[in-house]
Amino acid sequence: MILGLALAVFGVAVPFIGSPYMMGVVFQVAMWIALAQSWSMLSATTGYLSLGHAVFYGIGAYVCVLLTGTLPFELALLAAAGSAGLFAALVGMPVLRVRGPYFVILTYGLSELVRHVVMRIESALGSFGRMIFDVPSTEVLLWWMVGLAVLATLGAYAIRHSRFGAGLAAIREDEVAAETVGVPVTRLKLLAFIASAIIPGAVGGLALLRTSYFEPAQAFDPVISFTIVTMALVGGTETVRGPILGAVGFALLSELLWSSLPQLYMIVLGLTLIGFILFVPKGLSGLLGRIGRAA
Amino acid sequence: MDTLLSGQLLFAALVSGSLYALVALGLNLVYGTLRLLNIAHGDLVMIGAYTAFWMISLFAIPPILSLFIAAALCALLGWAVYAGLFRRMLAKPELAKRVEANSLILFYGISVILQNLAALAFTSTSRGYQYLDTVITWQGISMTGNRLLSLGVAASVCFGALLFLRFHLFGWGLRAVIQRREAAQVVGVNLNRVQLLTICGGFAVAGVAGVLVSMTEQITPFMGFPFTIVAFVVIIIGGLGNIGAGVLAGFCLGLVETYGIALTSPGYRSILIYGLFVGVLLVRPEGIFTKAVRS
Repeated sequence: MILGLALAVFGVAVPFIGSPYMMGVVFQVAMWIALAQSWSMLSATTGYLSLGHAVFYGIGAYVCVLLTGTLPFELALLAAAGSAGLFAALVGMPVLRVRGPYFVILTYGLSELVRHVVMRIESALGSFGRMIFDVPSTEVLLWWMVGLAVLATLGAYAIRHSRFGAGLAAIREDEVAAETVGVPVTRLKLLAFIASAIIPGAVGGLALLRTSYFEPAQAFDPVISFTIVTMALVGGTETVRGPILGAVGFALLSELLWSSLPQLYMIVLGLTLIGFILFVPKGLSGLLGRIGRAA
Repeated sequence: MDTLLSGQLLFAALVSGSLYALVALGLNLVYGTLRLLNIAHGDLVMIGAYTAFWMISLFAIPPILSLFIAAALCALLGWAVYAGLFRRMLAKPELAKRVEANSLILFYGISVILQNLAALAFTSTSRGYQYLDTVITWQGISMTGNRLLSLGVAASVCFGALLFLRFHLFGWGLRAVIQRREAAQVVGVNLNRVQLLTICGGFAVAGVAGVLVSMTEQITPFMGFPFTIVAFVVIIIGGLGNIGAGVLAGFCLGLVETYGIALTSPGYRSILIYGLFVGVLLVRPEGIFTKAVRS
């Protein structure tokens, strides 16, 4: 709680005290927190691991690039979030019928399918990447992103501590049993799926405004999906602070290594992921809890 | 229409179909007996391809001999994964459960490590070599020697494996493990030995496929992932753990892909593959899922 608050305050204040570089780092950290928290609304609560959240990010970016210029950017972002949620609502029913590892690869496949369809559309339109102009200032974008991170964290917290969250937890523990005792399994899963899609849509839009360049292969990059999962798992999926810890940790690691040694960064990412799955199932959050109790 | 009915197109379909069947065979064997979704499978293809490249460029060893070297190398990797991971899992049932649930993410970690180690060691420059690339014309069909060799090797390994599973006592044991793991143990199948040999065999087959691919395509550290996807498509169409149907599905995918592209344009290849992938998972989730539940 205190950690989250401190981070949020720091995020809002950073344009006044920090360098442009610092602002870039904070933007990234806030972005990954927002994404990982949104992911956890579905995947940490129900156990349906989504490996396709890049699709919502990409849809958000695409909608945003099509609309900026005609609409003020706030409305474009709203539309981006709405479209991502709408897409989740449309595909949710059939997709959520599929369980276990099949759900994981299905979400991945769906994300890649949409990516290739958008790439095809764009090349049929003769566009190879779109530039946008008149983007809001970096400070404004940063505040929006920090706002989304806070919103996602509060959302994830609210879901976990509600009847809705209890229903989702029942699905994770035993879906058939939950259905038998009257939990509206299908509706809850669909709602969680939509909830976890909306903020990533807005994040995609914001990230696009920041780079002011849209290229479908990048906007729907599956590495985004994988990074979200890695951050959430390493941070720990059992608590709301888990995704925050994971996002902060990896964003800092990426600042240290990515620009100079991208391959090494990816290797460290892989090793960390394997190490945490095998030896630290509760993630950084669980580790901190244990240290806290021992002290 | 003439092009569609020509033997030329059929030959192309068979070449890629046999390769898909071969790559999927390894993945299916490993999934069937170990219940692990090896998302790093395509990276073994990459390792096989690099083996062939370095053998011919450094030591002038032709790919036909590299087939055995790559197979041995990948089998060794399989042994390492088994010894590193499964010895531990056998000791701790709780760990085993976690690994099975997260196998996809775990192997993603391995995949990232392999790709980036390759990128560090060999750079990201794409490489290639020439081998048996003279054109032979037979009955109006033009083919290169390397494609013919690829078809021959891939088809014989696939059908050899099927015959082995059908007629050899060890093959029976392997099929028993795929169908009912516990029951197989009860009637005296040495589960440990079957799993170890299957993972070595499955990995070796991927290495062989890599050597075949390297004769006709560019070699890069990141070439493996598309093969992973193709292999997933194939075994989902054929049914996870169903070896024979998987081989058939591999050839079918080759046909569908080649003719699909001939009817439209190469730009639609990815959409076709991912469309099939998502479509099959969505339409028959129960049918596909029943097999996994039985484990």
